[in-house]
Parts: sequence; structure tokens; C-alpha cells
Amino acid sequence: MLDSSVNEQDYHALNAMLNLYDGEGKIRFDADRMAARQYFLQHVNQNTVFFHSLDEKLGYLVSEGYYEEAVLDQYSKNFMRKIWDAAYAKKFRFPTFLGAFKYYTSYTLKTRDGQRFLERYEDRVVMTALALARGDEALAMSFMEEILEGRFQPATPTFLNAGKASRGELISCFLLRLEDNMESIGRGINSALQLSKRGGGVALLLTNIREHGAPIKGIENQSSGVIPVMKLLEDSFSYANQLGARQGAGAVYLNAHHPDIMRFLDTKRENADEKIRIKTLSLGVVIPDITFELAKKNADMYLFSPHDVEKVYGVPFSEISVTEKYNEMVDDKRIRKSKVNAREFFQTIAEIQFESGYPYVMFEDTVNRMNPIAGRINMSNLCSEILQVNEASEFNDDLSYAHLGTDISCNLGSLNIAKSMDGGDLGGTVGAAIRALTAVSEMSAIDSVPSVRRGNDESHAIGLGQMNLHGFLAREHIHYGSPEGVEFTSVYFATVAYHAIRTSCDLVKERKAAFKGFEDSDYASGTFFDKYTTRDWLPESDKVKALFEGMTLPTRGDWQVLKADVMKHGLYNRNLQAVPPTGSISYINNSTSSIHPIVSKIEIRKEGKIGRVYYPAAFMDNDNLEYYRDAYEIGPEALIDTYAAATEHVDQGLSLTLFFPAEATTRDINRTQIYAWKKGIKTIYYVRLRQEALEGTEVQGCVSCTL
Amino acid sequence: MKDTLATRIPRAINWNRLDDEKDLEVWNRLTVNFWLPEKVPLSNDIQSWATLTDHEKQLTIRVFTGLTLLDTIQNTVGAPALMPDAVTPHEEAVLTNIAFMEAVHARSYSSIFSTLCSTKEIDEAFRWSEENPHLQAKAEAILNTYAPGNDPLKRKIASVFLESFLFYSGFYLPMYWSSRAKLTNTADLIRLIIRDEAVHGYYIGYKFQRGYEKLTEAEQQELKDYAFSLMFELYGIENQYTEELYDEIGLTEDVKVFLHYNANKALQNLGFEALFPPEVSEVNPAILAALSPDSENHDFFSGSGSSYVIGKAVATEDEDWDF
Repeated sequence: MLDSSVNEQDYHALNAMLNLYDGEGKIRFDADRMAARQYFLQHVNQNTVFFHSLDEKLGYLVSEGYYEEAVLDQYSKNFMRKIWDAAYAKKFRFPTFLGAFKYYTSYTLKTRDGQRFLERYEDRVVMTALALARGDEALAMSFMEEILEGRFQPATPTFLNAGKASRGELISCFLLRLEDNMESIGRGINSALQLSKRGGGVALLLTNIREHGAPIKGIENQSSGVIPVMKLLEDSFSYANQLGARQGAGAVYLNAHHPDIMRFLDTKRENADEKIRIKTLSLGVVIPDITFELAKKNADMYLFSPHDVEKVYGVPFSEISVTEKYNEMVDDKRIRKSKVNAREFFQTIAEIQFESGYPYVMFEDTVNRMNPIAGRINMSNLCSEILQVNEASEFNDDLSYAHLGTDISCNLGSLNIAKSMDGGDLGGTVGAAIRALTAVSEMSAIDSVPSVRRGNDESHAIGLGQMNLHGFLAREHIHYGSPEGVEFTSVYFATVAYHAIRTSCDLVKERKAAFKGFEDSDYASGTFFDKYTTRDWLPESDKVKALFEGMTLPTRGDWQVLKADVMKHGLYNRNLQAVPPTGSISYINNSTSSIHPIVSKIEIRKEGKIGRVYYPAAFMDNDNLEYYRDAYEIGPEALIDTYAAATEHVDQGLSLTLFFPAEATTRDINRTQIYAWKKGIKTIYYVRLRQEALEGTEVQGCVSCTL
Repeated sequence: MKDTLATRIPRAINWNRLDDEKDLEVWNRLTVNFWLPEKVPLSNDIQSWATLTDHEKQLTIRVFTGLTLLDTIQNTVGAPALMPDAVTPHEEAVLTNIAFMEAVHARSYSSIFSTLCSTKEIDEAFRWSEENPHLQAKAEAILNTYAPGNDPLKRKIASVFLESFLFYSGFYLPMYWSSRAKLTNTADLIRLIIRDEAVHGYYIGYKFQRGYEKLTEAEQQELKDYAFSLMFELYGIENQYTEELYDEIGLTEDVKVFLHYNANKALQNLGFEALFPPEVSEVNPAILAALSPDSENHDFFSGSGSSYVIGKAVATEDEDWDF
């Protein structure tokens, strides 16, 4: 009925019809496909600059300064024709409106006035492949295949920028330490500005900064604590953005036992005073095991002055395991301390999560126990999936480095689980992805932040992620979070881990240099491999066996061989896997986000650049809806079980969002956090809430609101 | 009768003894939904605002000034006028919450203005709102009904029409912008207002229906006639108001359809049948779908979303910490 009133050309209206049931109560997938088609007919095709031939196109784009000439110069004309022909022969089409809209709005190369498109999707893929392969024709061809077939998708900064002449960095994510002195804070803010300008999300560690009221130069009650630093950072991030392409974004992490912790959390209160309210900066809390133990006893938890801790131990607060030193610090009268009730602390976290979705949580001791690398992990990043060690820098009075430490960067990319499984050669796909991500690391040198450059040069840390788990399981008629779903997740991630490590070992043989600190790692000692050589990680149920039919999975023997190889040669990449939340790229790639359950059968996506758009879950049709129960229906335990199975095989972290109905209480959130911690989850990302419309006030016939 | 009224003893409100469960349900919903405009990062819309043409900017400011006027009326006159008619103490409490949130809404538009516009533009728009005959006419029509001594149920009718109908010619525009990727944070804020107004209209309509049930058939007929004639009057004004505002950017027809849809919703809140047939109330799906705040998946880095609420705090027990 509505169809008649909708202007055929209004692709936004057609897309919105996805969110409204038709007369028979069916979801209108056809309207969305029509929206995608109309978008091309009405908008894309009419606004794309036309070239007669590839030569003409590349000539123009290079001479006009759109494409980086050095990228194309590495290849023969003949090969370029071959790879472009091969790409176009695949006849790629966007299956959803949002995929196409997002790509053309945010990724594709446009004329400088922003009015006309210079690239189609195939062009962006080929340019990314050519840039990352650095002259290796076979590698370029394999990157193109993996990306265009939808098996591997580089993260936004890489896919957006590769091959363009004026561009931001290819790296997604940066993590910086701040120390307890003005030089470090000032340098940190400068670095945040520099990195935001180049298009990365930046997280900063506040744990080492002395608390509100701490002495400065021995004079009591002088320090203003962490809140003013957060204010400075928030303003810095809103000032810097990447050529207007992405808003600068940042996060700050604080240890639960820092004296400013309650103030830190209160910045996100609904009724916070404007002077202390933090709107766009993300918050993360680092929680050690001892905090749980104290809460269990319903005891108070002591908070320790970082200034005093550093004086007593001679190292920054973040280098100390609070769990280990807790009693010692409590008894040490040189360390000033305050206390709050541990359960109240957890409850406050849950209250703030209700009001704002923040803070993220990092379970400090779990993270460090599972870290195969020597050193301490004291923070995570903007999406809570990067977990790497860092090293403090020291500064001279003129802000130059007295000692150059290491900070963290990470470039990401994700496999589409369904497409990778369909491809049949999971090892080949993982191998290509690891090589593509390694290329990004090798091509990057962040000169404006030397500690990040040093960290990257020494570690070649990368983060291979996964997406479309729910889409894949649903297509195979397996419920997300069911025993088969969890079993598949475990086998899949073990297999990916094997191939990732194997490829990194191949790389070290080619490059002849292992990451710095390899000899002190659990890889070098071989203990990392114990859990793979002492038991199988193979499918057991018939259903899951069938999914892997025809594929070769690593056996204990394979792991044994790999172990010997790694112990002998080393690894090129210090870190290999990290599972990001995958927002934009999963729309382009037609996936469900990350390894999360879907948030809604029809997802309402809103962001600055694209407005409000509607997105159907991958592979969903009106006949298989029962397998698309959303995150709120599935509940947090099934989600945590799935994540726990994956966490086992991921050396860094996984962005894990928790979903609750608005009727839930803070106690429900706390219980879920306890469950997650018990199950060995490393980090928790956002808490999301859904409020059902009050009966009688809902928008009628709306797919995302009536379930 | 008079005597008992005069000597009514002040009573403490007891939420554990409810005359009407709906009062508590709505109270809970409203308190959980509490918000302040400061939570929305409106300044992220400054770039987007700059892409609007001068005329589009003027239209947007005017639309918001119109909405400010309606919220001001509801805050200072509307909700307080309903208070003496409340039949339970809990209803009074809900109405004070409604009145306060209307003040928050009126305040919110000023936050939008101060973020996006210059003082001159703002002053010009407020002058416009004072001089615009259609806007003044609808304010007057509602205010007349609110006048002291008027029938309590008629006041409720006016109140529901204001909450569920009159706002929407204005709400249309930010929803339209957001479906075009413009002013998306402003739209978030408006969606929070819509979330509140939907509950307000529903609740006052519910109270109307409880009063209406107690009337004789003749009284019911009279009241219903009154409701429809007020709707006709307001609809006439809204039409002219809509044409004046939206003709230039060519959205008038679309907005009118939206008016029909909401007029029907307002009447439905009162328990009456729809006035406009379905063919003329089929709202542009992009607008209709934009109205629902539920389960929106925004990226946190450019907005704050409209689905967070004040949570219910419950302490954990020993059994929760069993590990």
C-alpha cells in the first residue's frame, strides 16, 4: 500500500521501508534492493566521471594528483590491465543499500569539490591491493581476489587511504602512555592532535597521573587530578579531524584503584556539571582481580596515590600489579590512600553504563595472564580489542626524549567468516590477510610520535579480526550461542590462530628478523603451544564436522611442527589477532558486525556522514528469521560463552558489547560482568540498552521496534 | 460537599497504595527517560549546519522557535492547568514531571540555537514567532481551552492535541534532515523530545478516557463533537502554517500527510476513531522509520544516541559474588 505513495526515485524512502512490515507482515527486502538499484541509477552513475580506457583513467588520476604515482610505477602496464580486467570480470554488486551508500559516501575517491565520483568499488579494491603488495604481482592479485570476493576486508583507514596521493595514515589505532609529569602530559596532548589529524583513534593511559589534591613539589593540595587532563583531551579531539573525513576520537583508561576513579566515572553522569562533563571522550576502567575478591568479601577497596606508589616502588603505578602488591601497599604508610566500598564501585560502574554506555572494562590480570609477550599490559584502546605491552618515555626540559619508550599502534583487518569458509582455503585466506596487514605495518612510520614509530618498527604488531559470525551461523541454521555455535567458534579461531602464527613464521624466514623481545616470549620458550599440543581443537559434533568438510584442520602433530619451527626461527609479528567491532566495513562487506549477535533484524544505523539508514542482517530472508534472534533476545550469557571460546585463541582482545533491556537493573549488569570475568573474557566494550516503546506509543508496523 | 473540600487535610503521597497502576508505570517510564540537552554533542552538527542554504537555516530556526513556544505553553500553562483536575495524588506527581520535562524541552531548543546560530538570527526568529499569525492562532486556541473554569476533559483534549499533533509539523523537519544525513545530533535531541511527548500524549489521553467513560452518552457526544471541531480548527491553522513554512523547499505535501497521520494518533490517544483515511496518511517511510528511537546503532564517536536511560540501581548480593 505504501508503495504507491513512495516516489520511485527516493532511495532513502525505499530503504526506510525495510523497517516497516508490508501488508502480510513480511520484511520488505525487495524495497532495499530497489533502493540500492535506484541509488546507482539516480545518483552514482550520473555523478561518476567517465573515462574511455584504463590508461586514460590512471593517467588522469596520477597527473591530477589523486593517485600516488609511486604505487602504480611498481607494476607493468600489462599487469595493471590484467588485474583491473580480472577485478571487473567479477561483476561485483552491493547487495544492500547501506553497503553502496556507505561506500560512495565515505570511501570512494571523489573530485576535490566532493561532487563527482572518480572510483568504483573495483578501483578502490585494486588500488588497495597494488599499494599493499608493493610491486609483487602475484601478491597483488591474491589481495585483490581476497578483498573483492569479500573474504578479507582491510580496516577503514587502510581501505579508505591506500593508493591515494593526499591521504591519512593506514593505521587504525594508537595507544599512548602518560606519565606523572607535565612534559609527558603536554607531549601526549600534542601526539593526540597529530594522530587524530592523521585519522586514528587514540587511547591514553591516565593511571600514572597523580590524583586530585596530591602534592606538587611537596606542597600539599596542589594537583587537579585527571579530570582537567580529560577536558583538554576532549577538546583536542574535537579540534582535529582527518580532512573532515572522520571525527577525531579518543579514549582514556584509568585503574580502578586510582584515587580519582569515582570522579572519573561521574564525568558521564546525566546530571554532571558542565565543567566536568565529558561528552565525546570514551572512558575505560582497568580492573584487577583483587577488586573482585574485595567485592566478594563486601570489603572496602583502597585507592592508592600514583605519586606515592611511584616514589616507593621506583616505577609508575601502571607497572605494578595491584593484585600482587595490594596488601603490601595497604600496609605501607608512605602511600596515601582513600577507600570506597568495592560493591558500590561496581554498582557505580553499572549505573554509569546505564546512563552512557561507558566505561569500557579491561580485566587486568586476565589480560596479563594470557599475554604471551614479556612485559605488562596496562591499557586498551578506543575499541578495547588492542592489548599490547608498552614502555614509558622520559623527557628533557625542552620536551625532547631523554629516553624514547614505546607506544602502541595497530592496523586491523577482518575476515568475513562465511566467505572465508565458502572459499575453502582458510589457510590461504589467513595467510594473505596477515601479509596485507604486515605490509601496512612496514609501510607506516609515524614520525610525529616517535614512541609509536619505535613501537611499530620493533613489533610489527597487527590485528586480524573476524566478522559475520552470526550471519554465517544463521545461514547454516545454527543458533548463535548454541553448543554448536560455540563449538564452531572454538574450532574456527584455533584454525585461524594456527595459520596466523604459521604465516608470521614464514615472514620471519623471509625477513630474517623476529620482533624485538621474541626471546623472552612464551613463543620462544614453547609454553604458548602447550594447549595445542596436549589436546585437539577439532570439531566433535556432526553438525560442526559438516561445516568443515573438505577443509584441512591443524592437528596436534601440525601444532608440534609449528612449535619447533617458531622456536627455531621466531615470529615476525609480536601480535597477530584482535577482533574489532567492525562498523562501517561490515556494511560494505555485507556482514553482521564482528562476532556479535545482530542488534536487530533490521539495524538502524546512524552516523554523522550518512544520517539514518536501515540495514538487513546478512543472509536473512523471510524464511530463516528464527535464526536471527537479536542480542537482547539471546541474552548476555550465550554471547559471553561465544566470546570465551574465541578469546582462547586470540592473543590480543575482542570488542565485546553487552546488551540489556532497559528494565534490567545495575545488579543484572554486575552479575554479567562477574560472569564475563569468570569465563576469562579480557575486555568489555559498550553496554547497550534497548527500551521497548510503551504500549500505545510505538510506531506501528515497525520492524526494529515490535519484536 | 463544599465543606469537605475546604477542610481537606494535606495527605502525604503513598506510592505503595495506588488507585491507578498506570500512574506508577508512566512515572517510572518518565523518570527513567530523564535527560538534559547537555548530553547531546550538538556541536558536532556545526559543519553540517554550514551546508544548509540560508533559507533552509531560516526555516529550521523558525520551526524550532515554533516548537519552543508550544513547549513553553505546555510547561507554564498546560501541565499546571491539568493539575487541579488530577483525580489521584500520583497523577499530580506525574504531571509535575511532565511540566518539568516540557521546560527541559523548551531549554533544549535554546541549546540548539546557541550552538548553531548567531544572536541576530535567534532574535529575528523569536520576533517572527511573536508576529506569525498562524503560530499565534494555534497558541491562542490551546490557551483558551486551558483557561480557568473550563471543562477538565476539554483541557485534556487540548493537551493531547498539543502533545500528539501540533508539535509534529515542526518535528518533521529535523527528521527529514537526519534522513538526509544532516543535523543528526540535533535529530537525536528532537527524538528524545518525541520520546517524551509520545508518553505525555498517551498518558493524558488515557486519563481523558477514564473521565470520558463516566459520562452519560449525551455528554460523551458533546465532548466528542468538541474534540473534532477543535481538531478541525487546529488542522486548518496547521495547514496554513505548514504551507507558509514548507512551500519554498517543496515539502508541504509530505508534511501534510504527516499531519494526518499524527492527527489520527492524537484522536486514537483520546480513544476516538481516525479522522483521515489511510490513503492520505501514509507517511514517507524515511520519516516514519526515523521516529523510532529504539535500538539504534550509532557510532559513539560522533553522537550519543537516544536510547540511554537512568538505570535502576540494585545492590549485588553475596550469591552474585560466588566464584
